[in-house]
Amino acid sequence: MKHSTLTAIAVTLSVVTGAHADWAQTQNEAKGQTVYFNAWGGSEATNAYIAWAVKEAKARYGIDVRHVKITDSAEVVKRVQTEVAAGRTTEGSIDLTWVNGENFRNLKNGGLLFGPWAQSLPNWGLVDLNKPVRTDFSVPTDGYESPWGTAQLTFITDSAKTPAPPRSATELLAFAKANPGRVSYPKPPDFHGTTFVKQLLLELTPDKAVLQQAVTPAAFASATQPLWAYLDQLHPSLWRNGKTFATSAAEMHRMLGDGELKLSITFNPNEAANLIASKQLPSTATSFGFTGGTIGNVHFVAIPVNARAKAGAQVFANFLLSAEAQTRKADVTVWGDGTVLDVAKLPAASQALLRKTAPGALAEAVPTLPEPHASWVEALEAEWLKHYGSR
Amino acid sequence: MAQTLRLTLERPLPRPAQSWTWTPRLWLAVLPVLLIFGPLLPGLYWALAPAFDAEVWQALWLDAQWPQALRATMISSVLSTVLACAIAALLATLHYPGRLWTRLQRRLPLLLSVPHAAFAVGMFFLIAPSGWMARATAQFLQWTSPPDWVTVQDPYGLSLTLALAIKESWFLLWVLAAVLGEQAVSRQMVMGRSLGYSRTQTWALILWPQLLPRLVWPVMAVFAYGLSVVDMAVILGPSTPPTLAVLIWHWLTDPDPMFQARGSAASLVLLAVLLVCAAGARGLGWLWIRRRPYPSGQRTPASNWRWFKLHSLLFATGYAVVAVLLLWSVAQGWFFPALLPDAVSLASWQQADWTPFWTTLWLALAACLLCLPAVLLWLEWGPKRLNALLYLPLIVPALPLVAGQYAVLLQTQLDGTAVALVWSHLLWVLPYMVLTLIGPYRAFDARLMTSARALGNSPWRACLSVKWPMLLRPILATLAVGFAVSVAQYLPTLFAGGGRFVTVTTEAVALSAGGNRRVLAVQALLQIALPLAAFGLAAAAGHWLGRHRTGLR
Repeated sequence: MKHSTLTAIAVTLSVVTGAHADWAQTQNEAKGQTVYFNAWGGSEATNAYIAWAVKEAKARYGIDVRHVKITDSAEVVKRVQTEVAAGRTTEGSIDLTWVNGENFRNLKNGGLLFGPWAQSLPNWGLVDLNKPVRTDFSVPTDGYESPWGTAQLTFITDSAKTPAPPRSATELLAFAKANPGRVSYPKPPDFHGTTFVKQLLLELTPDKAVLQQAVTPAAFASATQPLWAYLDQLHPSLWRNGKTFATSAAEMHRMLGDGELKLSITFNPNEAANLIASKQLPSTATSFGFTGGTIGNVHFVAIPVNARAKAGAQVFANFLLSAEAQTRKADVTVWGDGTVLDVAKLPAASQALLRKTAPGALAEAVPTLPEPHASWVEALEAEWLKHYGSR
Repeated sequence: MAQTLRLTLERPLPRPAQSWTWTPRLWLAVLPVLLIFGPLLPGLYWALAPAFDAEVWQALWLDAQWPQALRATMISSVLSTVLACAIAALLATLHYPGRLWTRLQRRLPLLLSVPHAAFAVGMFFLIAPSGWMARATAQFLQWTSPPDWVTVQDPYGLSLTLALAIKESWFLLWVLAAVLGEQAVSRQMVMGRSLGYSRTQTWALILWPQLLPRLVWPVMAVFAYGLSVVDMAVILGPSTPPTLAVLIWHWLTDPDPMFQARGSAASLVLLAVLLVCAAGARGLGWLWIRRRPYPSGQRTPASNWRWFKLHSLLFATGYAVVAVLLLWSVAQGWFFPALLPDAVSLASWQQADWTPFWTTLWLALAACLLCLPAVLLWLEWGPKRLNALLYLPLIVPALPLVAGQYAVLLQTQLDGTAVALVWSHLLWVLPYMVLTLIGPYRAFDARLMTSARALGNSPWRACLSVKWPMLLRPILATLAVGFAVSVAQYLPTLFAGGGRFVTVTTEAVALSAGGNRRVLAVQALLQIALPLAAFGLAAAAGHWLGRHRTGLR
């Protein structure tokens, strides 16, 4: 841990000297470049926001950003890996990607990322360093990715049908047994599904500190044993007896709307408000968290080592980090994704906007639990598939 | 094989033996086909080579998901093929010849132009636990929440089977209609009936034994499609685990080379399944013919099964699919158990993302327009005996082919480019276009060409000013078929396009996992609208261009 902090400081120092002088040159270089931005495209709110950012980047910096909608960030890892393995080390097809967690770890460990660059961005100064923006699932970012937004696991229910939703893993089990067939979660390795399983793990495991270290077979076996016992009990009461799972959180929202499920999950505390506004959920939908806290993390953008338009990618990432872009992103009527900036450092108008809320959004304070170390994700997903992937 | 394939849609005409000199014209005919097919050979090697490793097979064998995935694939592909054949055969036996058959034939093109993905989305809206059928039932049974029924994405792939069976039965009916349109067949029916055999008997004793061998390849295409279908399986198929085709697709796109190798190995399994099942069906067919007793000559009275309204059910499904898509595309709040939306608005259409529509449009136009000269040259001067090779992409599971294409594009660093995307579509667009045009092309009166040549025209001129203009209508129809095939492509778009190109098809499948049914319905309808417009335009243009020439109308 100590070593990585030192590295981070060293990186920051080396980058700060003379970095700002280079920025004008980076901006010049960026002009006219085409930036392929590979980002998850599964939500209209997100896509519309990115479309706005694309338009702004064109108008302000003359950069032509193309949003390449992907369904899973693992595709990006594979693509960059394949390209580099095929000897394509400069003319890669991805210039910027939306990433965090195990995908970042795979990219970074594989030497597939360009950097360090993130902490030399002019807007880095606005970032709230009290948020975990310099580690990503316990892996130090070392300036190889720039923070974009914050997220926290949040549950949605229909308050008209479920006035008292469960507030912990134990309560959830009782709730599922009382409402057989009305609870589900997306099938891991779906991002939301894996996060839900991690949430349960965090609550059920005897020693939480182990989860912050890289995974070992012995640690995995002892830490996850209560989780499998819990899931074995939970699954028979789930939707379709836990033999099939929802394919995504978005599908769960739809099923919640139709009353097929009683709970849905999201990684965006404001998503329910969006869904009510777009008539995808009834106006009685409401968000809540677990009393003991829910997993929260930061998501980032990173530049592959073989990116063609590295300058353009940096300028776009810097724009995404600007007060204006971040405030708009946090607006519940736009996307409602939490900001990574330090609100105190922003102008008053932005501060007011950041405090805006809407019916359905998470209205209570839910403690944030740290993500387990990135290496746990793959181990958890593999073991989950082994246990429940083919029933 | 060539012989049999040619028999599928047209009557063989005796042809003079062809000489095999490599004239420039032959080169011209072969070159485009070589450009489309040639790169596949090294591509397939690159894509499948990782599978030649015992460890990979061991890992595949031990994989927890794979047995059930294979089961779901086998059920959905075999059962849907059998069902589709049964539906088509039953309808033909019951209604050919007759007014109803003519009507059926007229309505078919409309249904055929509904792409697979859009059909699957519509079926999902119909039969899901919160779908239209459950909502209709809820009105009577006072349900307030959807039943906990497994009507879609069931572990055995039965909903996928049903959707595939209905969709493919339309295709088989269309093939049957083409074959039954021939003079010889209808004369045999008249002959059989005049000798006192009932309609069913005539079918069983005279028509089916002759037609079956000609239907082998279309049925094979249906089966191969069912084996490797990914878009429909993502929407309607099981998820824990998915069908083998979807699993292979996941593996092939996994970052881990170990999984990629497993994907290659599993796609070889698909190929093996196809061969084994085809051989099995061949064996059964042989047994049936061997064991079939010589007709006793006994006349059975006509059993009247015509009250059986299978055709209405088939068409009703098609129309209901489009209707429910239309409703969702204009719905505001529409929660279970409401049978109709609370309010309607055009908001979803106004906010719709039209990028996929335009991408699909230029892509499909480029694909079919590029293929047309290749098809004409091939049919005119190409080596006739090699037609079977052209049809291979239709009867081989698409997954290994797509993986091969992708490997080539990666090596040449062309992946994710527009050129690569168009090229990847040609592999399926070309064979379908050849298949559509070959019948009218062969039926063209050769004497007209002889006269044209005798009057001093070069082969080129004769084609340009006599043959091709006279074939204008079938050529336009062929273009429309090529267009529709390109619109429906899912896997090639995904792989070769590198995710940079979003078509209405990839968008519809991607959105099917999402929650907003309105946006999904809009994209699915756009996917239907494109081929429908192409067929409509082709028919209208053909009519208009031939307005002064009765013979061309």
